[in-house]
Amino acid sequence: MFKTTLLALVAAIGVTAAHAESATYALDPSHSFATFEIGHFGTSTNRGRFNKTSGTVTLDKAAKTGSLDVTVDTTSLDTGTAAFTKHISSEEILNVAANPTAKLVASKFVFNGDKVAEIDGNLTLNGKTNPVVLKAQNFNCYMNPMVKREVCGGDFDATIVRSQYGVSYGLNYGFPDNVHLVIQVEAVKQ
Amino acid sequence: MCASAGPVPALAQPVAGPVTYQLDPNHTFVTFEVMHFGTSTLRGRIGPVTGEVTIDPAAKMGDVRLRIPVTTLSTGSRLLDARLEQPDLLATVEYPEAYFVATKFQFDAAGGVKEVRGEFTLRGVGEPLSLVARSFACRQDAMLKRRVCGGDFDADLKRSRFGATLGLPFVSDDVHLVIQVEAIAP
Repeated sequence: MFKTTLLALVAAIGVTAAHAESATYALDPSHSFATFEIGHFGTSTNRGRFNKTSGTVTLDKAAKTGSLDVTVDTTSLDTGTAAFTKHISSEEILNVAANPTAKLVASKFVFNGDKVAEIDGNLTLNGKTNPVVLKAQNFNCYMNPMVKREVCGGDFDATIVRSQYGVSYGLNYGFPDNVHLVIQVEAVKQ
Repeated sequence: MCASAGPVPALAQPVAGPVTYQLDPNHTFVTFEVMHFGTSTLRGRIGPVTGEVTIDPAAKMGDVRLRIPVTTLSTGSRLLDARLEQPDLLATVEYPEAYFVATKFQFDAAGGVKEVRGEFTLRGVGEPLSLVARSFACRQDAMLKRRVCGGDFDADLKRSRFGATLGLPFVSDDVHLVIQVEAIAP
């Protein structure tokens, strides 16, 4: 009885070890962007995209674990309208001169089958850190024919409450407190 | 006061007869979304879009003429922009503008625009396109001191129909358009 259990345990460890492969992936800057969406006077949706995001992700598909450490260059904000970009970058809103980066750090990946379904981490924005949950709308890994390496990535979204990050401009004029984040990410196996 | 008296929550103050609005360049952009290797969504923004729209909710009529400056394409990556501008994709040198013209408007009970059907011309090729409102509202803008109408619209097209075929099928043929629009009354 004991022997059988031990054997089963050894076998189980052996199987796990054989399949366990934690790999590191580096974000592809051409396919990794964070965009925010915020309602404009109940009429339309204003958007802004950060053009520079970098970082690394570790993924162990067998153990269904992962972690990430991503930095967004807040000075790379691009809304399509110079005046709007300048205003959001100013001290009144994101204060990018004082806080030129936003950070997302996570060590809890929730899997659905072999796909990442959710990432629970901490977002640091405007110098303040709060927990954030990113939900995957898409997730996939593929062999990229151009870089000849495995690429994993997807689409994630999250809703944050900007006042929790000390970004309270315009709340009294009716600009919403909730901001929707839309994140495209692809990362190349190292 | 006017024939369309009644509850009109979508319209801050109902206006009788047709009104022509000029697109607000600060709040009028098209973002395209296309699936990249079945993995993530590649996005690009084009705009500001210029043009005018006339709507007459009471008569259930509308008319829109838009110029979409394809040369303003911005994905956030210069490399990607340069690739997308090539002749086998957006062909921006030969076709620097895209156009949308429409006269088929559907309104909801409150007089808000629900759907706009017209013709989209990209790379010199015209195809029918339907813009479906996800949201639509009018307001009296406190800063502009004018009436502003607008919303968020969605549309779907197949890029191969317009001859933009590079990267098929790894980069999807299905392109989703996310359109922000606000327009200002005289």
